[in-house]
Amino acid sequence: MEEVIGKIWDRWVTRQVASDYSGASVRLADLQAELTLYYHALGGAPGKTLEPADTRRVRLRRTGMQRVAGTHQRFALPWQDERSVRLPPSLAVFPSARLNTALYYWQVAMAAYLPQVHNWFADNQQTVLALIGHYPGLGRQYRELAETLLTLRPPAEDLPDDLQRRERAVAEALRNPGALADLPFARFDCFPVWLWSYPPPVTLHCVPEASDDSSTERDPGQRSPRQTRLEQRKQAQRIDDEHETDGLLVFLPDSLMSWTEQINLDRCQDDDGDGDLDQVASDLDLITVSSRRKATAAKVKFDLDLPAAENDELCLGPGIRLPEWHFKQGRLRPDVCLLQPLLTDDAEPVSLPPHLAGTADEVKQQFSRLGLQRTRLRGQPDGQELDLDAWLDDYSRPVKDTTRQNFFLDRRQHHRDFGCLILADLSLSTEGYVSDDCQVIDVIRDSLMVLAEGLDRIQDEFAIYGFSSVRSNHVRYQLMKNFGEPYSDRVRGRIARIKPGFYTRMGAAIRQSTRILDMQPQAHRVLLLVSDGKPNDLDQYEGRYGIEDTRQAVIEAQRQGITPYCVTVDEQGHDYLPYLFGRDGFAVVRDPAQLPGVLPRIYLNLSTH
Amino acid sequence: MNTCTHYQVQNDECEIFQYAVQHRLPVLIKGPTGCGKTRFIEHMAQQLGRPLYTVSCHDDLTAADLLGRHLVGPEGTYWQDGPLTRAAREGGICYLDEIIEARKDTTVALHSLSDHRRTVHLERTGETVIAHDDFMLVISYNPSYQNMVKGLKPSTRQRFVAMSFDYPEPSVEASIVSHEAGIDEATAGQLVKLATDIRRLTDIDLKAAVSTRLLIYAGKMLSSGCPARKACLYCLIEPLTDEPSTLEPLIRLVDAHF
Repeated sequence: MEEVIGKIWDRWVTRQVASDYSGASVRLADLQAELTLYYHALGGAPGKTLEPADTRRVRLRRTGMQRVAGTHQRFALPWQDERSVRLPPSLAVFPSARLNTALYYWQVAMAAYLPQVHNWFADNQQTVLALIGHYPGLGRQYRELAETLLTLRPPAEDLPDDLQRRERAVAEALRNPGALADLPFARFDCFPVWLWSYPPPVTLHCVPEASDDSSTERDPGQRSPRQTRLEQRKQAQRIDDEHETDGLLVFLPDSLMSWTEQINLDRCQDDDGDGDLDQVASDLDLITVSSRRKATAAKVKFDLDLPAAENDELCLGPGIRLPEWHFKQGRLRPDVCLLQPLLTDDAEPVSLPPHLAGTADEVKQQFSRLGLQRTRLRGQPDGQELDLDAWLDDYSRPVKDTTRQNFFLDRRQHHRDFGCLILADLSLSTEGYVSDDCQVIDVIRDSLMVLAEGLDRIQDEFAIYGFSSVRSNHVRYQLMKNFGEPYSDRVRGRIARIKPGFYTRMGAAIRQSTRILDMQPQAHRVLLLVSDGKPNDLDQYEGRYGIEDTRQAVIEAQRQGITPYCVTVDEQGHDYLPYLFGRDGFAVVRDPAQLPGVLPRIYLNLSTH
Repeated sequence: MNTCTHYQVQNDECEIFQYAVQHRLPVLIKGPTGCGKTRFIEHMAQQLGRPLYTVSCHDDLTAADLLGRHLVGPEGTYWQDGPLTRAAREGGICYLDEIIEARKDTTVALHSLSDHRRTVHLERTGETVIAHDDFMLVISYNPSYQNMVKGLKPSTRQRFVAMSFDYPEPSVEASIVSHEAGIDEATAGQLVKLATDIRRLTDIDLKAAVSTRLLIYAGKMLSSGCPARKACLYCLIEPLTDEPSTLEPLIRLVDAHF
């Protein structure tokens, strides 16, 4: 009973103080694809994607009622870092959905023009000026948004003097961007200005960056009150960030549902590559000891996670050194990755599992019907159509040769000159469940088997590899079938043995696959990547670094005349895949359970194109 | 052909072309669609006072379509020169547009004309045509990476003086749009700014780029009073994509500009 009343009370009191319009709410998830495109069109960094922002604490001077309701403490404000642009998960600032949608587009435009906020007040005004100068239509939109926003902000008259001055300055800056340079001091923050971008909430690895900032370095004594206050806010958020934005939570939601032992890992503290250890050491006074210890623990745990040598696959050779693209330096760093080819040498040969027999038959039929290129041969002794050209040539000949009456056009099956390397993502995320009793890895395994049956049928040359990684020095590249080997029960046995583990260093695996394909003589070579998510790894490979490296690897493959294609079961794939593989270079399969049926069809389209 | 074609020089392309003409070298022009490749060749043909034979290549184009074939007339069959043979025989520029679309065995027919021999052998009549001094071979293609699979045989492309074309500099493009469409420079400038934004999405979110040609279409509509939003939507956005999720942000982009 108490609980029921409590809930009713909470609902009532929250509604009393609500300053947003939940009826006109617009969700980021519904607009994400469109906003991403808009962001890139306005010149936003191509590798960045849009993500929902976490809430952060804003020190507002709350009314008594708001304090009772416990609202107006935390807001999801727009900001960005190297990895992505963060936008509020939903917007209900304005009373109409049209304006809220327009606000999302405006925030994206701000993000594209203001990648880094140094001076919140001045930078935002300058960016607004630049935007409305460059885009007359956007200028009109801005004025509408700003006017409406001003009517919705808490009235300045009700505020204490210092906050009143600050609020009036913000209102003036919204009305006439560029009019004011400095934000008056006040003990509280002003109500969020939804038309402006915010600096990142400071997390552990941003702390050294903040101290590098010339504005804070000037003289500690002369710090503006705002900066001091900002740092106080940093403290609160640092703790907050440790608990809330666990890297794994963001990327592997489905695997976390079922695998709790991963939760201890917090890669936020472990973002630097091994090469940056000196840097880390010099920063140690800024990072608390406890968090360092945690990072080491994470590392140890993961190294131990690698199987003991006798239980692992057979290593083939000492490993292959591969370069990696560093997008900030804009160059390939040679020999950064060590790729280890592996072979499951003790796999028992197996025949095609009975539950796949139906699908495999269907695929084989499809392949034998459609998979063969037909060409039109002219001047044939027999065929489906008359070849008028050939007849005319013969007719105009002064001396006719009656034995050579080759006047037909024939459509004939042509020898297929295709080589395909299938590269399967075997990272731990494939452990997630698709349905009650089926994991992503099962679907990938079935798809590989079925596709291999079809490829074997039309006698296209193909190879199957799988990959996963633990940092740059251990990229696991698992051989299931190479180009020379015939498709057999032994290959099937290796496919049957694949199991999920580790991370997704896509770039290195693509580079090695490119090298292998490059040695193949076929005229058309396809690199078919079957994946379930973005590139990521324990080190800085997460986020933009990984995306840029993968893109570079894809471009290198294209330069070699190879057609890379990605089939993914990641529904978020639309956000980053166009950047990696181009608009036509990927397919998102919404229901992974359909992958075994869909994948062969994708291959057919690809190879008959 | 009588009216002089307007062509805005972007770089040293005219100069290089003149040198190629002087030494009877074949020319390959690469560039995205609608960036002015065809206009450039038309302009050069007029400058040189030579007839222009344009062939738009497609995947069913045979060697006979270029070289010629027998036709049936009242008195039996007769030989009809194809555009390539005719240009070689009478002198003129033979321009093979989008050569990449033609089958590879067709392009091999060009080999003997594009090197020092400058001859073409007609198998069907047994004749070997020696190219006229004023004959020039020009081919073009669009190297966007979707065409990667098709490509041009290295043995073919190595016979040509190759020039890369791209969309003109914004200021130059604005003046072209303004001149061709008859609109003021400011409006043309805004159109070009919009195009620059959309071009950032090419090959990532869009298959094709906004061409200068499409900008001129939009400009023409604007010049006769069509509202900017409509002109841009129908001339720039709709030709590029069919996907609603791509259309919406592009329309927003148009709204931002106008």
